[in-house]
Amino acid sequence: MSISVELTYDMGKALGEQRIEFESAKSVKDLMQLVREIFLERGEDFEGLSRLAAIAVNGVLVNHRIGMKTPLADGDTVVFVKAAAGG
Amino acid sequence: MIKGYAGRILRVDLAAQSFAFEPLDEETARLYIGGKGYGTRLLYDLTEPGIDPLGPANPLIFATGPLNGSVAPQSNRFAVVCKSPLTGGIGNATCGGSYAYGMKRAGIDFLIVNGRSERPVRIEVAGDQDEVRFIDAADLWGKGSYETQRILGKKMSHAVIGPAGENMVLYAGIVSNERIAARTGVGAVMGSKRLKAISVSGSRKLEMDDPESFKKYTKEVRELFSKHPVLGSSMKRYGTGAIVNTANGRNIIPTRNFKYGHFPDAMKLSGEYMEDHELVGVKSSCLHCPVTCGREVEVEGIGRVKGPEYETLALMGSNLEIPDLKRVNEWNYQADDLGMDTISLGASLSFAMELQERGMLDAGIQFGDPAGVSELIDDIAHRRGLGDDLADGTKRMSEKFGGQEFAMHVKGLELSAYDPRGSFAQGVEYATTNRGGCHVQGGSMYMESVGPLTINPQNLKLKADIPVLMQNTACAINSMVLCIFTSYGMFPAAIHAMSPNSLPYKIMTTLFENSGPMMRLAMGMKGRPMLWWEKWLTYITGQTFSSGHLQEIGARIFNLERMYNLREGLSGADDTLPQRMLNESIFPHMKSGHPLGELLPRYYRNRGWDSNGVPTKKTLARLQVRV
Repeated sequence: MSISVELTYDMGKALGEQRIEFESAKSVKDLMQLVREIFLERGEDFEGLSRLAAIAVNGVLVNHRIGMKTPLADGDTVVFVKAAAGG
Repeated sequence: MIKGYAGRILRVDLAAQSFAFEPLDEETARLYIGGKGYGTRLLYDLTEPGIDPLGPANPLIFATGPLNGSVAPQSNRFAVVCKSPLTGGIGNATCGGSYAYGMKRAGIDFLIVNGRSERPVRIEVAGDQDEVRFIDAADLWGKGSYETQRILGKKMSHAVIGPAGENMVLYAGIVSNERIAARTGVGAVMGSKRLKAISVSGSRKLEMDDPESFKKYTKEVRELFSKHPVLGSSMKRYGTGAIVNTANGRNIIPTRNFKYGHFPDAMKLSGEYMEDHELVGVKSSCLHCPVTCGREVEVEGIGRVKGPEYETLALMGSNLEIPDLKRVNEWNYQADDLGMDTISLGASLSFAMELQERGMLDAGIQFGDPAGVSELIDDIAHRRGLGDDLADGTKRMSEKFGGQEFAMHVKGLELSAYDPRGSFAQGVEYATTNRGGCHVQGGSMYMESVGPLTINPQNLKLKADIPVLMQNTACAINSMVLCIFTSYGMFPAAIHAMSPNSLPYKIMTTLFENSGPMMRLAMGMKGRPMLWWEKWLTYITGQTFSSGHLQEIGARIFNLERMYNLREGLSGADDTLPQRMLNESIFPHMKSGHPLGELLPRYYRNRGWDSNGVPTKKTLARLQVRV
C-alpha cells in the first residue's frame, strides 16, 4: 500500500510526472514537503502551477477538513484540483 | 406587442396538413418570458391530463424567447416542450445551432406541432410568405441527422431527428447543426408524429426597445467574455471537457455505473488531453457565440466532427471504465448522428454492464471493454434485439431485469455526470428538478464542487437553498432562451485568480456558506438590471428585469412545471435519488450516501410547498400560477 499523488494536467505536463507514489506520510503537510523535494529543481514552476489548485484527499478538499494537518493513511489518494466549468 | 417578440404562434396539424398563425399572448409573455416558460404554459393549457406522450394528442412545442434573433452571445438556442415519454412528466430540452435564429427570422415565436402524419413528412416554413409546406420525407426516413441536414441544404435552418427519433427511442433528441436538444425524449415525440425535419426561413428583423444601448452593451459584454477565465479561456481551449479532471479529483465523476467517483485513468478523457492528442480544430457550433466550447476531432472513416462534451466523456468513458478518447469520439458522433442523448445512453449501457456482471442479463458488453458497444448503440437506435430494451432507458430496464437499486435515474431520466454523494446540493437538485435527474436545469454543483468559489459540498449548509436559486435562474435563462453556460461568467476574474489555499478564499467561502437567510432575502429583491442577461432583456423588451424579477419568474415557471407533473400523476415520492446514491458511501468518512431525507423538507419549505411536495395555494397565488 502507499499514498498516491495526482498532479493537475498542466503540472504533470510541465514537471514530467502525472502521478507519484509515496510509501507513507503522516499528514498532507508532510506529503507536500516530499512532493516539493521531488521538484526541488523546478520549485518555481511547482509553486506557480499549484497556486490555483486545491488539495483533495480521497475527493474531499483539505480546506473542508483540518487543512494541511489532515492525516493520511495507506491507500489514500491526494489530488491537486483546479476549478473548472462544464456541462 | 412587446418588443423582442415576433408576435405570433404557428400551429401545424400534421394529420390534416393544415396550419394557422395566431397572435402571441402578451400577458403570458410578461409572466413566463418565452422559451421553456411560455412553452410549459402552452403545454399545460393545451392538453388533457393523462395523454399518451407518443400519441397524437401530445403537442411538440418549439419555443424561442426575446433574446433569440439578436446577436447577443450565447443566444442562439431554442427550447422544445412536450410531455416526456421517458418520465411521463414535463419534457423539455434546449438546443444551440442556428434553428432559433431561423425561427425568429421567419417571424415565429412558437411552433406547435399537433397530430400525427400518416406517412413520413417534413415541413418547410417560409416566414416571409406566411406559408407552410408539407413535403413527403420517405426519402429521408432512416437517414442520420447529419446526412439529413446535408440533403436539406444551407438555405434554411433545420431541426431534424435521426433513426433513434424515428424508432421512438425514449431518449431520442432533436438535432440542429451539430447540437442536440437531447433530454427527456423530445425526439421520440417528433418521431411518433412521423415528422423528420422542420426547416424555417425568413428575413424579419428583431425589433428592440433600445437598440443603441443593446448594441453598445453587447460590445462591452463581448469584451468581458473575451477576458474571462472560463468563457474566454478554458472553454475555448478545453471545451466542457475541462471539468473531467476536476470532477475526478473531487470524487464525483461517474465510474462503473456510479459505483465509484474516481477513475484513475480519467486524465485520458479530459479536455486538456483532448487538446494535446485529438483536437484538429476549435469551432463554435452556435451562431454568434464567441465562447467556442465546441471541439473538432477526427473520426476514422468519417472525417472532422464535433467532439464529445463533458457529459459524454464521463458517461461513456469513465462510467464504462473505458479511458479511450478515440472510442468516445466515435460513439459521440454515432449517437449524435442517430439522434440520441449520450447521458441516458451512457447510463443505459453502464446499467446493462452491471446487470451482465451480476449475471442478471446476457448483455454482451462489459466494463472496461469497448467490444460490442458500437453495435449495441446502433441496435438501440433501431430497436433491434437487446437494443429494444436499452432504448427504453434504465427505469424500464430495471423493472424488467431487476437492479432497481443501481438504476441511475430520477423520475426516469438518467443522472448527469456529477455524483451527488460528493455534491449534496446537486443531489437535492437532481431529486427535485421537474424533468428528472439533470444538471442543466440548475447547476448547483458549480457552487459547491467544481467552480472557482466552492463551499463544503458535504454538509447541510445552503444545500436546500442553492438548488432553489439555481433552478429558478435556469428556468429564466431557458426562457429567454440563452445558453446556461452564460452563468459561468458570474464569477469575475478576480475570484478565479484567488488561491483556494489562501485566507481570503477561506473567509469568502465561510461567509458564503453561512449566507442562508441573506441569500433568501437577496433572491426576492427587485431592483435595477445588473447582469448581462437582465440588461439585454431590459434593452430588448423595454421592461425592467433584475435578478429579483427573474427569480420570481423562474419560480413561477418551476412551480407550473411542478403542477404539470402532479397533474400527470407524479408526486413527492418521485423526489428521490437512486438507492445507490442514498445507501452506498464512496467517501471514507461517510457511513451512508446522500442525506436527502434531511434536506428535502427544508427544500420544500424554501419553495413554499407542503410536506408532500405540493405547492400551497398561497405560493401559487403569490407567483400568479394559474392551474
